[in-house]
Amino acid sequence: MNPAQPPSRSETRWGLQLKLILSMLLVGVVPLLLGLGLAFWQGSREIQVVSGESFKALAEETARKVDLLMSDEIGRTSRIAADPSIVHELEQRRDALLDMTEDARRRAVDTIKSGWEAKDPAAVQAITGNKMAGLLQEYFAGAKSEADQLIPQVVRSATKMLYITDIEGNLVAALTTLPPLTNGETAWWKGAFHHGVGQLFIEDVHFDERAQAYVISISLPIMDRIRYGAVGVLHRVIDAKELISPSLAPIRFGKTGHVMLIDHRGIVMSCPILPTGVRVSDPQLIPLITPLHPGWVSAPSDGHGGQSTSIIGFAPVPETSRATNSDLDKSSWHTFVWQASDELFAPIRHFLTWMAVFSLVAVGLMTSLGYLAANRIVMPVRRLQAAAQLIGRGEFRQPIDIQTGDELQDLADEFNRMNRQLEAAFAGLTDQVAVKTQQVESLIHSTDQILDAVPTPIIMVNQAEQVQYINRVGRDSFQAILDSTQSIPLFDILPVDAAAREHLRKEFRRARSGEDVATASGAEDAAVVNRARDPLAPMMGTAEASNRQEIQIGPRRYHYQWFHMAGRNKGEDRIGLVFRDTTDDSRLQDQLIQAEKSGSLGTLTAGIGHELNNPLFGILGLGEAIGEEANLDRVRSYAHDIVQHGRRMAAIIRDFTGVAARETSDHRQPVHLERELDQAIATVTGNMDASGVAIQRTYAGDTCVLALPDQLRQAFTNLLMNAIQAMEGRGTLRLSTSLTDISVETRIADSGPGIPKQHLSKLFDPFFTTKGQGEGSGLGLTVARRIIKKFGGDIRIESQEGSGTSCIVTLPVIPLLPPP
Amino acid sequence: MHRVKLSLYAAALTVLISGLWWGASALSAKERSGSSGIPPEKVAAYVYAVIKADRTLYTTEIVNRLQAKGVTTASEHWEQENALMLPAQFLQHSGKLAAESGSGIRYRLIGLWPIYQRNAPASDLERNALESLRKNPDLPVTGIVTSGLKQYFQAIYPDLAVSQACIDCHNGHQLSPKRDFKLNDVMGGIAITIPLE
Repeated sequence: MNPAQPPSRSETRWGLQLKLILSMLLVGVVPLLLGLGLAFWQGSREIQVVSGESFKALAEETARKVDLLMSDEIGRTSRIAADPSIVHELEQRRDALLDMTEDARRRAVDTIKSGWEAKDPAAVQAITGNKMAGLLQEYFAGAKSEADQLIPQVVRSATKMLYITDIEGNLVAALTTLPPLTNGETAWWKGAFHHGVGQLFIEDVHFDERAQAYVISISLPIMDRIRYGAVGVLHRVIDAKELISPSLAPIRFGKTGHVMLIDHRGIVMSCPILPTGVRVSDPQLIPLITPLHPGWVSAPSDGHGGQSTSIIGFAPVPETSRATNSDLDKSSWHTFVWQASDELFAPIRHFLTWMAVFSLVAVGLMTSLGYLAANRIVMPVRRLQAAAQLIGRGEFRQPIDIQTGDELQDLADEFNRMNRQLEAAFAGLTDQVAVKTQQVESLIHSTDQILDAVPTPIIMVNQAEQVQYINRVGRDSFQAILDSTQSIPLFDILPVDAAAREHLRKEFRRARSGEDVATASGAEDAAVVNRARDPLAPMMGTAEASNRQEIQIGPRRYHYQWFHMAGRNKGEDRIGLVFRDTTDDSRLQDQLIQAEKSGSLGTLTAGIGHELNNPLFGILGLGEAIGEEANLDRVRSYAHDIVQHGRRMAAIIRDFTGVAARETSDHRQPVHLERELDQAIATVTGNMDASGVAIQRTYAGDTCVLALPDQLRQAFTNLLMNAIQAMEGRGTLRLSTSLTDISVETRIADSGPGIPKQHLSKLFDPFFTTKGQGEGSGLGLTVARRIIKKFGGDIRIESQEGSGTSCIVTLPVIPLLPPP
Repeated sequence: MHRVKLSLYAAALTVLISGLWWGASALSAKERSGSSGIPPEKVAAYVYAVIKADRTLYTTEIVNRLQAKGVTTASEHWEQENALMLPAQFLQHSGKLAAESGSGIRYRLIGLWPIYQRNAPASDLERNALESLRKNPDLPVTGIVTSGLKQYFQAIYPDLAVSQACIDCHNGHQLSPKRDFKLNDVMGGIAITIPLE
């Protein structure tokens, strides 16, 4: 919920937009590129296949064309060879030669040869001017041919030599003087004559010295008139390029696409680019393109010096190849169709270029549209984000208005709804918070006031022993000034010695870890602080074992107590230390004890004086009366009274000096309870004015207890005296005994004013009395209880103010005595 | 493979024919030396019988059969197309081999409408014989022809369109001057030439 920093916010904002645009671009561009790549690959392949097939077809077509061309030329030449005149001439020459002897033939040849080579006019005339030569000339010039059998001008000019040999290969007729005279050893002659059988022989392209050109030659046997055997050979030498290129050169496609004719060795016969007679540049290409069937190949070079992958179509020239070097196996001609791959793949490259351009346009479009689209998405999101921030800061006022008609609008509506609910919730919450804050403040205030009003120092310490709070009394007591900005270490405030400090630290740590410091060990520790203690000594009373510890700070003594305060909201736990100043307490108690002691002594003294004074004054008065009395009887009576008073005084002194020890005999004996009670009544009524007291007796019977009779009587006397004194001589005294299995309960109930509640607890304290000076020693009940307890019984007082007091004496019973 | 087989076949045929010819020449020698011999008409008839048998066998049992089974086809450019040679080519090539053997026997196919001009009739006898055979296919034409001082016996037998391959080729070929041949038409003749010396 931290409000984002402006830079990071702008990054986030741009990031979302950028991501959206990039996603759109990726979605568009990746398939586009993939499609382009596939299109290029597939296109290239198809261009290869389509071009290859086209090239193959073109190569085949061209091969047929070359075939026809050659067939035409062979046909024309064969017409010369089939001329009956020439055949007849040669038949005669054959017959003549067969008739001649070997020597004669050689001689004749030698003669003609020397003349021919010497360009002897007669010899030349004999060969170029004879009948056959004339016929050759006529055929060549077309004079003898039908219109459709004319040798075309192109072919005529291409024909470098045309001549006829006899059956021995010797020249017999020629158009020019270029041909050699003897040809019997040449391959073409042997091939064409073929041992007299005769067959067509077409020579591969080669350089002819005489014609000074790259030539092919057609050699036809001149058969006899019945085509039984060869009588000569017609040889025609043709410039290869001049013959073939008119047929091939026009076949151009594109800038570089063309057809060429090569032979099986890869020698170019005609090519618009390469000169005739050279070999195609890559020898490895030759076996690929010169099989005996048409086809196309994707070759690593183009044969024209280029090393790029090339599509080459090829086809053998079928019919002509049969005659080349007389056999298809010995030589064959092939067409070769090629186009530079740059040009060949230009369409697909163009396509690709255009596609790339369109792709760029598309990418641009996608980017802009993506930007717009992203903006449309991001803008509402930004507004929502801003709204969320405003809501977070509580400053959102204006509802978001997004009308996109989609989830974003729903989201905005949800935002508005949420904001309204938040506002409503916050409004109530703010009021509640204000109220609660007020409450808390007043609580804090009152707590502070309370704490300040507490008369004991209270210190709050954090985990690091730093004082965090100290109330007013504490501040006053320890002269501490607590600054809110600066915390003071605990022991800077508490000036204690090192041992005490160490002990406090130990306790602090225990309190900090949440243990109860007020444990036995804590008490023990406290005891260690206070005084050395014998561990074998019995435990102290409960007051001693309390968890209060004491510490001396300066002149004052404190009880202190640790308490643990759990921190709120994962805050630090705090440890509180409460002190109570016990200096005044102990002094007060001491004083109290002292005062009580002094008061008791005074009461005792007054009591003793009072008790002794009465008989003493009686004795004094009797003594004076005796001195003035003459009557001896009276004197005797007075003396008797003096003795009585003396005895009484002795009894009082005995009471003071030790109630229990007074009995001479400590031997307990069975005593009749009711009898002792009656005697005690008699004693009391004898001594006191009890005329207005009505005594009601309700005895259970003759109950027997084990006791010392005097002491029992004494205890009852004391009780009865208290009762009669309380009734101030008027009222009803109810005496009753009741018997249980093991004890007898004696109840002495008066109808006096009762005892105030505050005195009930002190009734048995020695010297506690409500009577005036000299009226009672304050020892009556103390003595009575001591006696009764000695006999195994107990006394308790039940009293209600204004309705009398009951004194209940419980004693164990013994079996009834036999009557004395 | 086909070429090898065919070459073997052609060689066997050549041996057969040359054997026949040797026999004939032996006989003729005997005739000349003695008085009896085989007349050239008979020799030509023998040769024709062999040629015809071979060609028929090749046509029916090799070309037609393999084509029917779809194994291969016969084509003019059989070398390039890995096919069988046409029956006509078979005869021409075997004739060439026979000629090259040096035995002196020659036979070839001739026609009035040849695809290649070299197969046109070379002499008046051949031309007349073809004309005659068109009208009367059952009667071979024979005659003595001379080349200079040399004399030869020539017999021309009719050559019929024995299979569909013959018609298809001649009716469909670019260079063919006549394209309406039907099965069993006389397409031309087989000219057998035997030297008479």
